Amino acid sequence: MYVRLFAASWLLFCAVLAVIAWGFQAPFAYDPVGPRAYPLLLLALMAAGSLWLLLKPGLLEQRFNRRAALRATLCVLTLLAYALLFETLGFVISTALAAFALGLLFTGRPIPCAITAVLMGVLLYVLFDYLLDVPLPLGLFEAFVES
Amino acid sequence: METLNFLMQGFEVAMRPENLLMALFGAFVGTIVGMLPGLGPINGVALLLPLAFALGLPPETALILLAAVYLGCEYGGRISAILLNVPGDAAAVMTTLDGYPLARQGKAGIALSLSAVSSFIGSIIATCGVVLFAPLLAKWAVAFGPAEYFVLMIFAIACLGGMVGDKPMKTLMAALIGLALATVGVDSTTGVYRFTFGSVSLSDGIQFVIVVIGFFSVSEVLLMLEKTHNGQKAVKASGRLLFNFKEFTFTFWTMVRSAVAGFVIGTLPGAGATIASAMTYMTEKRMAGSTGKFGEGDLRGLAAPEAANNASACGSLIPMLTLGVPGSGTTAVMIGALTLYNITPGPLLFEQQPDVVWGLIASLFIGNVILLVMNIPLVGLFSRMLSVPNWVLVPAITVISMVGVYAVHSTTFDLVLMVGLGVFGYILRKLDFPLSALILGFVLGELMEDNLRRALSISAGDLNILWHSPISLGLWALTAVMLGMPGLRWWRARRAAQLANV
Repeated sequence: MYVRLFAASWLLFCAVLAVIAWGFQAPFAYDPVGPRAYPLLLLALMAAGSLWLLLKPGLLEQRFNRRAALRATLCVLTLLAYALLFETLGFVISTALAAFALGLLFTGRPIPCAITAVLMGVLLYVLFDYLLDVPLPLGLFEAFVES
Repeated sequence: METLNFLMQGFEVAMRPENLLMALFGAFVGTIVGMLPGLGPINGVALLLPLAFALGLPPETALILLAAVYLGCEYGGRISAILLNVPGDAAAVMTTLDGYPLARQGKAGIALSLSAVSSFIGSIIATCGVVLFAPLLAKWAVAFGPAEYFVLMIFAIACLGGMVGDKPMKTLMAALIGLALATVGVDSTTGVYRFTFGSVSLSDGIQFVIVVIGFFSVSEVLLMLEKTHNGQKAVKASGRLLFNFKEFTFTFWTMVRSAVAGFVIGTLPGAGATIASAMTYMTEKRMAGSTGKFGEGDLRGLAAPEAANNASACGSLIPMLTLGVPGSGTTAVMIGALTLYNITPGPLLFEQQPDVVWGLIASLFIGNVILLVMNIPLVGLFSRMLSVPNWVLVPAITVISMVGVYAVHSTTFDLVLMVGLGVFGYILRKLDFPLSALILGFVLGELMEDNLRRALSISAGDLNILWHSPISLGLWALTAVMLGMPGLRWWRARRAAQLANV
């Protein structure tokens, strides 16, 4: 069932992409193939594969579980928020918040989670930024640190 | 003789203090990553790749680090397989069959030490194979033109579809999705923007690191969410910690046989450690016949998959180094690493970058010795790490993934793209699409298109060039065999069912 759903939406997606890909045209002919043929070939093959899966999805032992889905959604939202706030809040704060939220999602108790989260934010910042030379955004802390 | 000289040169590179240190570090991290349930070699390599790049390590050092992680994962996977009955990575599934019963019988120490030695023997035999065959193949591979390369890559993808077995269609679809993802960005020959949707960040394509971390780390975090439950207890390794001589001789030939088989399977592009360990386990089981106690704690059932998965891990470096076509998902990631350094793996690598190639091969020997020495006495320490709870582990994985992606371009867009790809990967995994095929497709994508277009430029658009030479004809034939295999298996299964019904 879910495979069918996926195959159908993928088929649609392929069609949309094919319309977009149709517009790829080079101003000059550099080679006999051009930029359009290969993506179109792939899309055609994928569409054929989707059709196959639409007709013969095979067995899949997968049940929709409302609680699991809710937790997965929360997890995705946390990750998204983390990604979006990474630069604005800076590494230390955003990491501490995200690590705390994820810890709670993964059945940790609040206080140990909070402690590890803060430690992670600070220690990993020191590790990456100072020891390993990976530049990380400071965000809100920028005002406190003279550069 | 020439090979021996090169090998010596390689040892010189690998013995440099910073490279030794990296091998040690990689082996340690690899063992831990391999051991943690759910995290396999791809995750390990994917997590360390951006770090190695951001640290500005020279290419040979970075490759040595990644190879050590790869080997370490194959060693580490067995620890949780034996003590927890949970395979640390996919290739260790077979190890649980006999490893866990042994641990239950109070022979955990013996099982751990014997499997470490099996892993060691498997890797060493395969590394010798790499030394012998890689230069030969590299010489031969110079004869490959763009058309042959294109057919070879089709063969690699067909191999995946043919070998992974029960879901060939989904495997092929996953590979196609990977190939399609690789077309995003500026077309290298004509400069036309493809599938960028007007975004500047997508104009030079989706970065390899983002794809790997998104598909493997982020989707892994989401998968772990479902599996998080408490109360899993590891069996304590107690009693005799080392196997005795009799047990060693009993399993020695099993190890050698499985190592050779694993090596051969590993060298096939597309077929990796999981298939190798499953096939050798089945073979040994059949060979032992009724004398074996397979499934109830037979030492041979432990030695065979462990020797095979390490051997195939080493063997899969051959197509990667000589042809530039990955032999497994993990080597696909390593090829990505090389391209980050502007090194194109392929037959010329042996001439142009002998330091990289031979340093890597020599470091395989050294890495194996390190792992063996590390694994026998430190098993207690490693098994204690199994008790790190998920609520610490998952945030740590997430943060390291974010840093890895951020280190490439320092843009928020990349981070969001990573999460998006992770969700997509999670959906694909829930629907049973193998992601290693996808990553293989992604790595091959650009190469494949370039080679196809180059070939057709040579022939001025004549498609005949694709089946012109004997090499490409042979590869087409092999491709047909690989694609026919699932059909054959299906037909045999149906016939067996019919016979059973009569």
